[in-house]
Amino acid sequence: MRRRWLDRAVTAGSALAAVVAAGIFATVLGLILGRGVPVITWRFLTTATAEAGGAGGVVYQIAGTLILIAAATAVAVPLAAGAGIWMHMYAGDRARRIFEQVLHATNGVPSIVFGLLGFAFFFHYLDWKKSWLAGGVLLAFMILPTVVVGFVERLRTIPRDSIHAAFGLGLRRGDVVKSVLIPQGVSGLVTGTLLGIARAAGETAPIMFTAAVFDGATTPRGISDSPVVALPYHIFVLAQDSLGPDAGAKLWGTAAVLVLMVMFLSAAAIPLRLRIPESGPHD
Amino acid sequence: MIDDSAPDMIRIRDLTVRVARTGRVVLDGVTLDAPKHRITGIIGPSGAGKSTLLRCINRLVDLDRTLAVSGTVEIDGVDVRDSKCDSDDLRQRVGIVFQRPVTFHGSIRRNVLFAAKRLGIVKRSEEDALLEQCLRSAYVWDEVKDRLSHSAATLSVGQQQRLAIARTLAVNPEVILMDEPTSALDARSTAAVERTILSLRATKTLLVVTHQLQQARRVADWIACLCSQDGSGKLVESGRCDTVFLTPRHQETRRFIGLVS
Repeated sequence: MRRRWLDRAVTAGSALAAVVAAGIFATVLGLILGRGVPVITWRFLTTATAEAGGAGGVVYQIAGTLILIAAATAVAVPLAAGAGIWMHMYAGDRARRIFEQVLHATNGVPSIVFGLLGFAFFFHYLDWKKSWLAGGVLLAFMILPTVVVGFVERLRTIPRDSIHAAFGLGLRRGDVVKSVLIPQGVSGLVTGTLLGIARAAGETAPIMFTAAVFDGATTPRGISDSPVVALPYHIFVLAQDSLGPDAGAKLWGTAAVLVLMVMFLSAAAIPLRLRIPESGPHD
Repeated sequence: MIDDSAPDMIRIRDLTVRVARTGRVVLDGVTLDAPKHRITGIIGPSGAGKSTLLRCINRLVDLDRTLAVSGTVEIDGVDVRDSKCDSDDLRQRVGIVFQRPVTFHGSIRRNVLFAAKRLGIVKRSEEDALLEQCLRSAYVWDEVKDRLSHSAATLSVGQQQRLAIARTLAVNPEVILMDEPTSALDARSTAAVERTILSLRATKTLLVVTHQLQQARRVADWIACLCSQDGSGKLVESGRCDTVFLTPRHQETRRFIGLVS
């Protein structure tokens, strides 16, 4: 009797926790989309900002955010793939444990600290001033732990016999990586990258020091001194400083564009994940 | 009738495997010879180190960094534990088939040929012939010849195990290690795998770990019985199959055979 009661209590408690979590997400999403979607028009998506954010659209903010995400992904994915394979196949126990600690510590560094480090290194030391590439690289380092962990967790689910069977055929370590680990682990890499992109797209602190300006930038024409405008920084400034009568509506519209962009990128990756084999080598 | 004069292909001397951190002995001073082109059956209770012994022969045990190995394993007179011996080349010469069939992603054809192609063993013009030869040797050709481009995952467990044997044969090993190859199979598939094992004896040296004593009697020429003593796996008896089963010398062997059969 007591066990049955306990079982019901645990079931109800976990269901309640799931409902609360889903409820918070739905509320935030509903609020943003409810207030922001009516603002989104073709003109909003295709025109530049005017009147300090009180008028015009966010076309360059969308472009800037996509550029930052693309740069971060281009840097983070190869690094994460290499680090994950090294951790899983090559590293000794001690080295792996230390690297895992470094990853967790990196994941816990506040984004504002990343921003300051990037400011010191890219802005001053490399003298890039504000640069889309500096922002992209900085975001890549921020999302690296997420991507590596996603990849390694998937690699850990590969049955030991699959790897041993490949070794047992006389394949070299590199062949086993290429023919077993990467095909089977790539779905974890994609998942980790999507989580990383979702985070990178919304980060403000790192890019406000290194890559983003509020106004006056279009598309970058080089590396040094080539800032971009970006959706999260636009939201940040509109929320803080813009006093125009339409700024509030533009703020929600920009937030909705950012959320929808992340959702679209995640959805676009679903077919890619479905095409990825869950096991085994390729020729 | 078995020819007792067959030269030894594998000579294992004082092979000991320890868990490096705790010092626990998994395999204790195993000394064993396996004759060339003969089937050596390895029997014994669970936890006696039979699978570990197999993995020492092709150095798959090296992949487990928690284990420390000492002793010698000679194949055709060469100590494979010597640092000069390339473990990848060794594993090409000493194939292994696991208890549960492992299929890789892709078609049946890919599963059989991918390692042979990657290792440069087969020319493009010879791929079809090698594919058929290996699948025939594994007694699975007739069942799959019309669907070679289908995914290997669509095969039954028994067919997958024979496919794993065909894949091993494709890299032309001199020695084949089999770790309970039929424990997950039904009677029909078991019979097919046993037929494969017996047919390979003419050209390969085989070591087959099995829990099924009747199977050991059906296929093995020689028997090695490992038992667990004080938590460590020890070779308690080895010899001709008939001799070990009919007149076992060691108490542990008698107990094991008596308990199971």
